[in-house]
Amino acid sequence: MSLLSNTGALLGKELRTEFRSLELLTTTVVFILVIIVLFSFTFDPTSSESRRFGPGLLWLAFLFAASLMLQPCFLREQTNDTLSALRLSVGDPFAIFLAKLCANTLFLLFTELLMLPLFAVLYNVNILPAFHWLLLVLFLGSLGVSLAGTALSAISAQARMRELLLPLLLLPLLTPVLVASTEVTVGLLDRNPYMQWKGVGFLATFDLVFLTALWLFGEHLLEE
Amino acid sequence: MAKHALGSAVVVLLVVAAAYGAFFIAPTDVRQGLIYRILFLHVSSAWTGLTAFFICFVGNLMYVWRRTPQWDWLGTSAAEVGLAFTTVVLVTGPIWAHPVWGIWWTWDARLTSTFVLWLLYVSYLLLRTLVEEPDRRALFSALFGVFAFLDVPLVFGSIRWWRTQHPQPVVMGGPGSSLDPTMWKVLFFSWIAMLGLMTLLLLARYKLEAMRGDFEVVRREAEAA
Amino acid sequence: MKNLDSVFAAYLFAWGIFFFYYLSVARRASALRDELKHLKDSLNRGK
Repeated sequence: MSLLSNTGALLGKELRTEFRSLELLTTTVVFILVIIVLFSFTFDPTSSESRRFGPGLLWLAFLFAASLMLQPCFLREQTNDTLSALRLSVGDPFAIFLAKLCANTLFLLFTELLMLPLFAVLYNVNILPAFHWLLLVLFLGSLGVSLAGTALSAISAQARMRELLLPLLLLPLLTPVLVASTEVTVGLLDRNPYMQWKGVGFLATFDLVFLTALWLFGEHLLEE
Repeated sequence: MAKHALGSAVVVLLVVAAAYGAFFIAPTDVRQGLIYRILFLHVSSAWTGLTAFFICFVGNLMYVWRRTPQWDWLGTSAAEVGLAFTTVVLVTGPIWAHPVWGIWWTWDARLTSTFVLWLLYVSYLLLRTLVEEPDRRALFSALFGVFAFLDVPLVFGSIRWWRTQHPQPVVMGGPGSSLDPTMWKVLFFSWIAMLGLMTLLLLARYKLEAMRGDFEVVRREAEAA
Repeated sequence: MKNLDSVFAAYLFAWGIFFFYYLSVARRASALRDELKHLKDSLNRGK
């Protein structure tokens, strides 16, 4: 169980680092809020229109926020070359990814859960009837975003124009997540909420495929 | 040199023959008339583009495993060639759609998925221009290429599911929906011709990449001297 | 014949794309060949 204990220790470090300053979470939350407000100018936010467009805009906001929030993930390891230290301290480099993945998923979920009630109020959408299912979609979607984003941030951290590169690599890759999450959320925010298990299936498949890919290839992303 | 000229001649012949088949051998479609003949170009380009991206995927996997530059050269060449074929798909789609539907673009499942595919591999090539160090560039683009290709079935699947929720005009019906046996034969032959063209372009692009590799070696020698 | 021009346009665009791609590869190859020759010459002169 060395992988789990290493992951646990590294996850603790990630969480402690963030909760010391909270700068990543606060800026991400404010960014999502800005997008939600700006989106209101792009269509007439009546109740029925909001139910139609809202989920897509919400997930788009989450995706944009994630593509910015994930930038520092490996970038901050470049100062003082802490990545080398991390690599030396764990036997399996997958632990590093697993820890960052868990941390990023938690951060994303945290911002989404904060934004969801606000979105519900601003756009007159009722999130309570299917709230538990919404949690499931948020979790699977955020996991997918974190999986792809954590892997790609390791790449973009070592490239030029990284601020543009990460969104450029990440967003097309996340198309299935956006499509499936939006569709399922549309169903859950309907006046008579319904669950679309096929969409959940797509999300779960995406998560499984990319978790496996990260497990198989992750160590190469961290090579010297 | 002679082999290359012969190969090019064969490919050109195949492509012309395929066009002839599309215009004169394939029977006229009762519903769509003449315009459906773009199908032989559109669908065969789509299949060939996917074949090229599969070759890219193989090159990427082999590079991550073997770390010899030849696999990187193959991956990059196949990505570019695949992009050329995918561009043809995206251009012929609207040319088909406009006379039939009166609109240039319809977010139908296959066109939308192809657009995302196109964006994925454009990103792949852009990534290559933004990583300076050659070994790192090869490794990172190989890894992204693997992720991108694994994503392809998910992109196509999820978008197709999304479209069943919100039906739109479908460019050309499904491939294989109401194609008669002669049409199938012409389509298959068109695909063979396109594969020949793909091989030709791939070889030319691979040679260019190999030359770049040589250039890097000589340049390093010159810098050391 | 209705829509013949569209079908022709599609084939012309397609062949155009392939042709220009091939040209671009050939041009890049030629430029690289020249640069390589230039570099090798200067290397030999240095020796």
